[in-house]
Amino acid sequence: MRAALAKASLVRHRARTVLAILGVAIASAMLLDMVMLATGMRESFRELLLTRGFQLRLAPKGTLPFDTDATIADVSGITATLRRNPDIREISPVLGGSIHVPIGGRDVSASVLGIDPSVQGDYELQSGRDVLEADAIVVNDRLLRALGRRIGDTIRVATGYDPQTRSYSGQRNLVITGTVRFLYGASDQSGSAVRRETLLQMNAQSPTRAGDRASLFMVRARQGADAEQVRGWIEAQLPNVSAISIATAIAQVDQRLSYFRQLAIILGAVSLFVGFLLVTTLVTVSVNERAGEIAVMRAIGVSRSHVVEQVVMEGLVISLVGALVGLALGLVTARYLNSILSAFPGLPMAIDFFLFQPKAAWSALGLVIASGIGAGVYPAFRAASLPISQTLRREAIA
Amino acid sequence: MLLALTLSFFLTQDSTVSDPRSSTETRTRTIAIDEVLAEQAHLRVGDRVTVSPTPDGLGDTVVVGAIVRRGADPSEVARGDLRVWMHLDQLQTLSNYGDRVDRFAIETKHGADVPGLIERINNVAFGFRAYRSRDIAVETSRTFQVVSRFHRAIGIITIVASSVFLLCIMVLKVEERRRDIAALRLMGISRWTVVRAIIAEAALIATLGSMLGIVLGWLISLLVNSHYQAVYRTPLAFSIVTPPIVIVAVALSLVLGITAGVAASLRLVRQPPLALFGR
Repeated sequence: MRAALAKASLVRHRARTVLAILGVAIASAMLLDMVMLATGMRESFRELLLTRGFQLRLAPKGTLPFDTDATIADVSGITATLRRNPDIREISPVLGGSIHVPIGGRDVSASVLGIDPSVQGDYELQSGRDVLEADAIVVNDRLLRALGRRIGDTIRVATGYDPQTRSYSGQRNLVITGTVRFLYGASDQSGSAVRRETLLQMNAQSPTRAGDRASLFMVRARQGADAEQVRGWIEAQLPNVSAISIATAIAQVDQRLSYFRQLAIILGAVSLFVGFLLVTTLVTVSVNERAGEIAVMRAIGVSRSHVVEQVVMEGLVISLVGALVGLALGLVTARYLNSILSAFPGLPMAIDFFLFQPKAAWSALGLVIASGIGAGVYPAFRAASLPISQTLRREAIA
Repeated sequence: MLLALTLSFFLTQDSTVSDPRSSTETRTRTIAIDEVLAEQAHLRVGDRVTVSPTPDGLGDTVVVGAIVRRGADPSEVARGDLRVWMHLDQLQTLSNYGDRVDRFAIETKHGADVPGLIERINNVAFGFRAYRSRDIAVETSRTFQVVSRFHRAIGIITIVASSVFLLCIMVLKVEERRRDIAALRLMGISRWTVVRAIIAEAALIATLGSMLGIVLGWLISLLVNSHYQAVYRTPLAFSIVTPPIVIVAVALSLVLGITAGVAASLRLVRQPPLALFGR
């Protein structure tokens, strides 16, 4: 009966109910988007870092991986030191740099990674084969298009280029053996990878980049090992490197992108409040309009709790229907907003600012329902505490 | 003309603190560091530090000659970079970079033909290109352009939500006065007069609401600026309330308010007065 009465009240003013549901839907959509933004960015980054299971990154002291041109010297010595720790299962040294390819009178430049293909965690092979030989190079689709070459073609690659004399240094003929997708690469970035030894040989003439160097070490800890403990051990053993765990990296990213998280929290709270205000206003006006009806119900013996339940149910129905519509709407707007933020320069393609997680959807739904119940409390209290005789008299006079 | 060379460097603080004015220190070069670095590394003017291109490499001992507050550069806002300014020749020597720079900054005379100058430089220069500072600024502020597009999208969603909210409130406000309107109509007041009265009321509410919103927005803008300037340690203004923004906000609010008023009033005046009384 309570449900029937609540439904009758909502159907009586269709336009008003539809508008309220629409308002709650937009507020819910915004809330879902903001919950997704607040939690998704971090989760997406964490998933990206753990894609290949490397829990630790070692960068030159005081820097973040590939944030500067700084490199770590004595890779062999560092690798030997790391191997002493039984909790470390795999070590992948990576040397970053840039390459220049003279093609038909123009210079095509791209980033290059020097890796060990057996332990690399930077890319996924899409076609062809990996850099198994010293003169092999794998490239991403963007670079392949820029070069106008195909798998199997040989290209002349240089690691140094002097634009004033148009002379190349560190040149070598390399065969394109495959195409890859770089996990941490930006969508607008041309990239390539060769064996680290190959890149070291090409860099040998450079006064700043010669020697057994790496820009980054990726370290995989043994299953069950405490990554934080391993991190502490590495920092104690190797004072010239910064060991960065997933938690540290996420904290750094959190700090840099704190603006979006805070914006998400503020806008989410505002959306929730607007939805709450809308439902409260609507149900309060509805109760005021039906004061006489409620007084009659009370006069014929309907209990206070019955009235309260009916009014709260009205708010709950508006919130629930609005939230369900809003969740669908929120997924659409999240895709649109994500496409805007994906255009951030240098952002890895795999990073999503708005990552859908069932937990986020349940959180948004739960918050909207809780606010719907809360929104019905005040009008329900008003309805339950109406003075029966005075209200009936006032209604009769009116 | 300014010459710039940007490289990554490592600073190590010496344990001794010396007076830069003493005679033995006159040969020691000075550097300037940004205030964030000074705070993080607990450095003060006069402190001696060693700068080197690698964490384990040999470097030069220099004296902190100045602590500098960095300018409001949007491209650096979310980056945690620390910055040191050195004498160009010292940096070139230390980095083994030779007689090279990354870029030249050129200041032109007032009224100079800048496009013509750029063309001349690009025609005679071999291996580098000249750009206008504002073109570089556009390129380096791509991050902020993305943020700006994101804000615009959020703004549109907010406007849609506000419109629905306003329409809902206006419908409620007008419907609350069904009986008053019915009485007015029975007294012979025309539909158009009732509609105009409701529109005037809606416009007044929208104007007052937007005024309140502007004051609130201004206060929030102060809060946002003070918070994010502290978080990112920059003098950059994150939020500004300008006259065009105020005009757009008031105009938009008026349009939305009046539209909501028209929609709500038309719903009621189309009904016969007795029906409004519930008969």
